[in-house]
Parts: sequence; C-alpha cells; structure tokens
Amino acid sequence: MDFIRNFPFFSILLPMISGPISSVMSGKQAKRLNFAVVTLSGLLSVAAFVYVLNTGEAFTYRMGAFPAPFGNEIRVGLLETMMAFFFCFVMLFSLIGGYRFTAVDIPEEKQNLYYIMMNLLLSSLLALIYTNDMFTGYVFIEINTISACGLIMVRGWGRNLLAAIKYMIMSLLGSGLVLISLSILYGITGHLLMEPMHEAIVQIMEQQTYREPLTVAVGLFCVGIAIKSALFPFHSWLPDAYGYSTCASSAILSSLVSKGYIFLLIKFFYRVIGTDIIHAIQVDDVLFVFGIAGMVFGSVSAIQQTDVSRMIAFSSVAQIGYIYMGFGLNTEAGMIASIFHILAHAAGKSMLFISLNSLSDGTWEYANYRKLRGAAYRHRIAALGFAIGSLSMVGIPLLAGFTSKVYYAKAAFGVGSTYKMLIALVALAISTILNAMYFIGQMINIYTPLGVEPEPGTVKHSNVTRVAVFMFIAVNFVLGMGSEPVFRWIQTGLAQFR
Amino acid sequence: MIGAWLLPITVVVPLLGAILLMTPVGRKGLRTVRLVTGAFVTATTILVIVVALLGENEIELFELLPDIPVFFRSDKTAVWFAVLTVAMWMTSTCFSFEYMNHEKREKRYCIFSMLALAALMGVCFSGNLVTTYLFYEMMTLASFPLVMHEQTKEAISAGITYLYYSLAGAFLGLIGVFFLYSFAEERSVPGGVIAYSAGGFLRDNLSSSESTALTIVVFFMLIGLGSKVGMYPLHGWLPKAHPVAPAPASALLSGNITKMGILFVIRVVFFAVGPDFLRGTWAQYALLGLALLTVFLGSMLAFREKVFKKRLAYSTVSQTSYVLVGLYLLAPVAAMGAFLHVIFHSITKNLLFLVAGAIIYRTGRTKVAQMKGIGLIMPITMICFTLGGLALVGIPPFSGFVSKWYLAAGALETDTGAMRYIVPVILIISALLTAGYLITMASDAFFVVDEHGGHGAAAPAAKKEDASENESGEADEPAEEEFPEIRAEDAGHEKEASPFILVPLVILAAGTLFFGLFPSLLTGWVEQILNAVF
Repeated sequence: MDFIRNFPFFSILLPMISGPISSVMSGKQAKRLNFAVVTLSGLLSVAAFVYVLNTGEAFTYRMGAFPAPFGNEIRVGLLETMMAFFFCFVMLFSLIGGYRFTAVDIPEEKQNLYYIMMNLLLSSLLALIYTNDMFTGYVFIEINTISACGLIMVRGWGRNLLAAIKYMIMSLLGSGLVLISLSILYGITGHLLMEPMHEAIVQIMEQQTYREPLTVAVGLFCVGIAIKSALFPFHSWLPDAYGYSTCASSAILSSLVSKGYIFLLIKFFYRVIGTDIIHAIQVDDVLFVFGIAGMVFGSVSAIQQTDVSRMIAFSSVAQIGYIYMGFGLNTEAGMIASIFHILAHAAGKSMLFISLNSLSDGTWEYANYRKLRGAAYRHRIAALGFAIGSLSMVGIPLLAGFTSKVYYAKAAFGVGSTYKMLIALVALAISTILNAMYFIGQMINIYTPLGVEPEPGTVKHSNVTRVAVFMFIAVNFVLGMGSEPVFRWIQTGLAQFR
Repeated sequence: MIGAWLLPITVVVPLLGAILLMTPVGRKGLRTVRLVTGAFVTATTILVIVVALLGENEIELFELLPDIPVFFRSDKTAVWFAVLTVAMWMTSTCFSFEYMNHEKREKRYCIFSMLALAALMGVCFSGNLVTTYLFYEMMTLASFPLVMHEQTKEAISAGITYLYYSLAGAFLGLIGVFFLYSFAEERSVPGGVIAYSAGGFLRDNLSSSESTALTIVVFFMLIGLGSKVGMYPLHGWLPKAHPVAPAPASALLSGNITKMGILFVIRVVFFAVGPDFLRGTWAQYALLGLALLTVFLGSMLAFREKVFKKRLAYSTVSQTSYVLVGLYLLAPVAAMGAFLHVIFHSITKNLLFLVAGAIIYRTGRTKVAQMKGIGLIMPITMICFTLGGLALVGIPPFSGFVSKWYLAAGALETDTGAMRYIVPVILIISALLTAGYLITMASDAFFVVDEHGGHGAAAPAAKKEDASENESGEADEPAEEEFPEIRAEDAGHEKEASPFILVPLVILAAGTLFFGLFPSLLTGWVEQILNAVF
C-alpha cells in the first residue's frame, strides 16, 4: 500500500490534534500553528488528489481494527480530494484576509480559543468530506456545529450571542433530525457503512418492504441537512450568524460550513440511497421546489436589506437555493452544476465578505448602505474584490458565477420533464436579474465619489489582505475561464461514487 | 496565422490603453492622457484596417466552457461593423479632446471609452454566440460609466436604468443562447456547435413542438436584444441615457453601441437561427409590428421633444428600428437596406450629437427653442447639421435615401401580406416627421425674423448677449439660464469651435454626402454577405 494513501487521514487528524495543543499557546502562536496546519492539510489533499488522478480510481481506508462492514472507513476519490483541497485553500485565504479583523475583534486572551475552533472546524469539514460511514458523518456534523457556534459568538457582542443561540437551536434541530433518520436507516438496513447500506436499500426497494420508513428517513435526513445549510425556508438563523460575525468567520461560515453538510448530502444521495431511488420516492421534486423558492426569496430579502453584510448573507440563501435546485434536477449534469456552484459560490462569497469588511472597517455601523457610499476610495483593492465578487454573483461572463449558471442551464435542458426545464430556466433568469439589482446597485454605491476625502479606517490594511483578495479574484477568473478540467474532475469523481 | 492572431489583439490594444491610463502614467496630466488615448485608438483603427485587408481569419482562444471556446472570426459582417466602430471612435475621440475641457474627470472618460472600444471589438469579431454574449455584457459594463459621467442625479439614475434594461435584455438573450445551443446541429467546426454559419446552424429534424418552443424563445431573445437597440417595449432607457452623457459619449452610444445590438440581432437571425426558420411565423410578424411601432413612436416623440439631445435620442429610437424592420423582413433587398442604414445612421447620428455637443460647448444652449439663429454664429457647425438632417430624412443625394430606398423596395418584394404595404407607408410618415423635427431646426438656425429692421436698435443687445453667453458656457447647468435671441445682426460674431471639433463634423458630413453619391462602394460588400445567407 502506498504511503500516500494515509494522507487524507493525516489531514483530518492533524487539525484535530493541533486543536488541543493550541489551548496552551498564546494567540499569536496558535494563529501560526493554525495557518501551518491548514496549509499542510491543503498540501496533503493535493498529494492525495494527484495520486487518485493518476491511479484513476477511488480507494477506501480502514480506520481501526475491524474490516468492513463493521469498522470505520474513510473513502478517498477524486471529488473528495478536490473538495478537501479547495476547502483548505478557501479557509487559509479567508483567515489571511480576515486576520486584521480577528486581531481587533477578539480579545487577546481568547484568540487561541478562536483558532482551536478553526482547527476543529477544518477537521470536521474534512471528515464530512471523506467519511464512508454515516455515523461518523453524524459525529462530525455535531463537531462542525459546535465549532461554528464558537466562531459566531467569539466576537462577544450582544448580537453575536443572539445569533449564536439562534444558530445553535436551529442547528441542533437539524442534527437531531439527521440522527433520527440514521437510526431508522440503521434499523431497516442493519449497516452504517455506505456500500452495505446501499445494497440493503436496493433490496428493500425491490421487495417493497419498509418503503415508508425509508422515505421518512430520507426525508428527515434532507430536512436536517437543509436546516443546517440554510435552505429556504429554514434560513432564519443565517443572516445574523453570517452578517455580524468577525470577517474570517463570516467568510468561512458562508463559503464552507454549509457546504460541508451539502457534500455529505451528495454522498448520501449517490452512495447510500442511489439517485434512482431518490427519484422514485420523489424527494428530488421537493428539493427542487424549495431550491427554486430559495433562489427567488433569498434575493428578494436581500434587496430589502439596508445593511450590506446582511444583504450578502441573504444572497447566500439564494445561492444555496441554486445548489438544491441542481439536486432537484437529479441528473448527472445537475449534480455537476451544483458541485461547481459550491466552488464558485465559495470563491465569490468569501471574497465578498473580506472585501466588505475592509470597506466597512469591520463594523456594522459602517456596513450600512449610506455609510458605504464612496468607500471604494478608502480601500481600492477591496473595492475591486467587491466589484468582481458582485459581478460573479450576477453572472457576468469570464467569472465563476456565469459558468455555473451555464452549467445549470445545460442541466435544465437535459432533464426529462419540460415543466422542470422551464421552471428552472425562468427561475435562473429571475434570480439573475434580482441579483443584478442589489449587487450592481451596491457596486455603484461604493464607487460613487463623495467629493471629500474618506476618513481613514481604524483597522490598518496590510498587504496580506490584498494578497487574499487577489487570490480570490484569481480563483474567480480561473473557475470562470478554465472550468473545463474542473468539470471533468467533478464528472470523474461523481462516476467514482457509484 | 498572424492575421488570425490580430483579431484578439484588436481587443487587447484598447484594453492596454485603458490599463496604461490607470497606472501612474495617467497621472502625468491631461496632455499625456490625450496622447495615450489618441495613440491607442489610432492603433486599433490601423489594426482593424489590416484585419479587413487580410480577409477572413478565425481563431479559437481557449475553452470558456466544455465544447464552447472563445472564438474570433473576421467574416464580412464582422469587418463591416468593426470598421464602422473604429471610424466612429476616431471622430468622437478627436471631438472629445476639445469638448471634455468643460467636463471634469477626463481621464476616467478616456479609460471607459477605451474599455468600451475593446468590448465592441470583441462583439464585432466574435465568432460564436457565447463569445458575442460575453463581450456584449462587457460592453454594457464599460459603457454605463460613460452615461453616468456627469454624476448629476439625473445622470446616475439614467445610468442605472440603462444598466438594468441592458442586463435584463442580455439575460433574455442568454436564455435564447442556451436553447440555440441545445438545438444546434452536431458538427465539429472551429468555434463549437454554436459558431455562426451563414443561414443558421439549427438541426434539420426539429419536431413541431420543438420548433414552437424555439420560436417563442427566439422571439423573446430578439425582444431582449432589442433593448440595446431601443426597440419597443425595452426602449425606455434610451431617451433617458443618451442625452445625459457627455456629447462624444452620446454620439458613441447612439451611433455605435446601439449598432452592436443590431449586430447581435443579425448574428442570431441570419447566422444562428437562419431566416428560413423565422420566415412566415407569428414571431416574424410580431417583431416587424413592434419594430414599425417603434419607428413611428420614436419619430412622434422626437417631434414633440423640446430638448435638442433628447430629440436626437428619440430619433435614434426611430432610426435604429428602421434597421430592425429591414432585418425582420427576412429578404435580401430589405436586408441590404438594413446593412446600409447601419452605416448611414451611425455616421449621421454621430454627426448630429457632435453638433449638439459643439453648440453646448460654445454657447451652453440645450433646448431647441434657444437655437433659433444659431447658424449665424456657428455657420460651419450648422451647415454640417443641415447635411446630417437631410441625410436622416432621406433626401437624395444624401445617404439616407439609398438605405430607405432599399428598405421600401425590399418590403414590397417580400411575401409578407399586409406588412409589405404598411412598411413603406410607415417609412414615409416617419420620414415626414423626421423632416419636421430636423429640417425646421435647420431653417430656424439660419433664417431668423428680422423684427427690428435696423442695426441701431439691436447692436447694444447683441453685445450684452455675447457677455452672457460667455458666462453661460462655463456655467454648471446651462439649461436653466435665460438665453437671448440671436438676431440677424449677430452674423458677424462668430463663435465657431476649434478644429478638434470642426474636423470630425466636416468629415462626417462629407461622409453622409459621399456614401449617398457612391453607395455602390458598399453594396458589393453587403451582397457578398447576403448571398451566403439567403
């Protein structure tokens, strides 16, 4: 067995161990350790990615003494390693971009705690990506929730605490539903590893026994994940949680945390239940409807906001709607579009949050629509980042957002039902125009000169922030212009799921 | 091979110019800014001429999406529009060097003007639907800052209106692109399945439900693309946006950027869907009807409009829809008229907006009523205006006559039922209205009522007037100022603008006459395009 096969496991273990170690370090040391760990995990993922790309097939990696179907496993395929790398990348540059604000927002003595949470978050995200065992998935969902809660409330202001409580309640409700669903599934299949579960479920469907419990279980799982990833109408916790956190937290929460759950859902669809069974019990239609509703209402709510950070947060609701809409199409093309959209949205949204925080000086008083007027002249690079992020979200060609919209449109044509196709296309068009209304309006607002010199911000901008924004701009352009290999990798990765 | 690489370079050169102005080079003063702008626009012009001389070339740059590359091709249609674009850009840029003296932030204007030029080059030379769409969006984004340039409340609201109309229109177009992609014939040619091919690239065996769906989609697509052209019902932004921009930008917006909408329509109708698909469908009649309605509506509104630049903007609404009428007739002769009218209207409307700019620049007068007698103090400008007006009305031997001739004759030749008679009738009515709103202005400009009949009474008034005009030339909002009437005695007090302004005007005016006299220089080229399509 090649040594490289251990890498994914290491990349999960590394942040998990460095978390407790951080607790005895000072804030600065913890930060350095955390940056190093994220970088290292990213590199390990790249190595694993190249390995899988070369061998051309996924492998499972046994954890503990017992072989399948009893023990615990992780599974390493092209899609998993790609996602793992991308998550590490986004996390690293979100942390770098938000570093100045982290230093200001969080008291010195609590900073190491922040990085403990960050380490745990990374570990749980990677575990959610790699796991081949549903119960391990559940465990890391919980760890993910706890660490995300920490990230939200670490700023320690009233609004953050309130947001964290809201998040905690909704999230625990979600994980509770997931747990119930897994219990039912375990009851009817007798397994927790994905492949044996899948085999059992296929049998169940053939024999038509336990069809109702199965439907209920799938439904509960979907609703649980939907709550946790803020699918409309379960999004009430999201705007406060994303909008009022410190810069790095907002960026990471919006671009990664919900996506980890969604990736588990993809695995659940493909590896546990099977897409044809999902179609047979019509879960995809339900997700489709809610996805479409999210696309439209998320944007409508975003238009109503005067606080720009809440506006961006609401736009996340719309983008999550896109992803679920792709699931609802329930074709290979739809799934590829959704996975691509996960990447595109992560690249765009984290950049938007970092840029906005730089423009608004990291305070929500300044994140108000009026106060932001002319902010572009305070921090030009951030303004550029905001503009490019906005254009990407609207779907201007050459940027990532446009490419994912094209993939969605192509997927819509491939779906069998004419109604679904038309609804999806119309929803895409409406949502695009709604996006344009608030993002472009905001862009113009930011670039409107006031005629007076803008006051310098209290947070000093460093080249580090600029580097982060530039990296995200580059990623947006790369995904927008050179999406072809990414597309192929996603396709291969999905094929390996079978 | 080099010829093929020149195509993307035409996009890159103005882009580089814009980027150069954003670097510290742009802070070295107005002279440098003008020098850079002039140099890069001229370089683009030369490049385009070289491309035109080298004939048809094509190049795939990179795959934007799987199977959909960014693809450039310099076919005859592309060259037609590209040469027009650079010609208009040269004149307008030359004009702007003088005109922008009385505006602020000239550097920003130059940057966005060059960015827009880059995008327009992309639209012209794009060889497949997605590439066109890409640059079409870029064009919107690069041109709306030009609309907002003056940053008055009116300008900003107009800019935002322009942006929303354009984006909404372009997205309607995008949906059409998706459909056309899925209905395209399977073939492996450079540029992917949606590369333009004369006569369309649709599959042959479309089922009846598929072709119904496609007709609906193409109809909405063309309505969406009509927003850039100013076709009813998405014309609302145009009379708001064109007049508030600085005059050279208005000229480009009206004269040239609307034509890019037309180019996209041509690409869709003649090179993607194919005229045979649309001919005889309800979509054709509906589009024809809307275009005719716009022709009439635009002329009517222009006739009633009191502000000079707005009058010109409404006239654009009307005139660009002439072109659409010609295209939607889906017949060779009418299409010939449309292609010619693209050039002729572009030259004429550029000229008229520049005249409006020259008058604002020298006297600050913006309303039609204030322009009585203006020809006495700005004779060359107003002679150019008169020539442009005559061309737009369509009086021989000016250029507008030739295109309208082809349009009317082409309509009568087609097999479109009642439409074939309605088209010429509307054209005539609209031409009458055009005469009503332009030629009356021209005559008022030169022939003023000589009420006082003696020199002695009017002489002091003339002096006073001079003083007030000088002030008003620099005032921020000249529209609210009171302008004294210009009387016959003022003929000696010339206020003609500098050569930077006059030379473009004279060249454009000469162009309207020249192409009216020798249209055969152009018709041969168009015939080659149309022979391939029909």
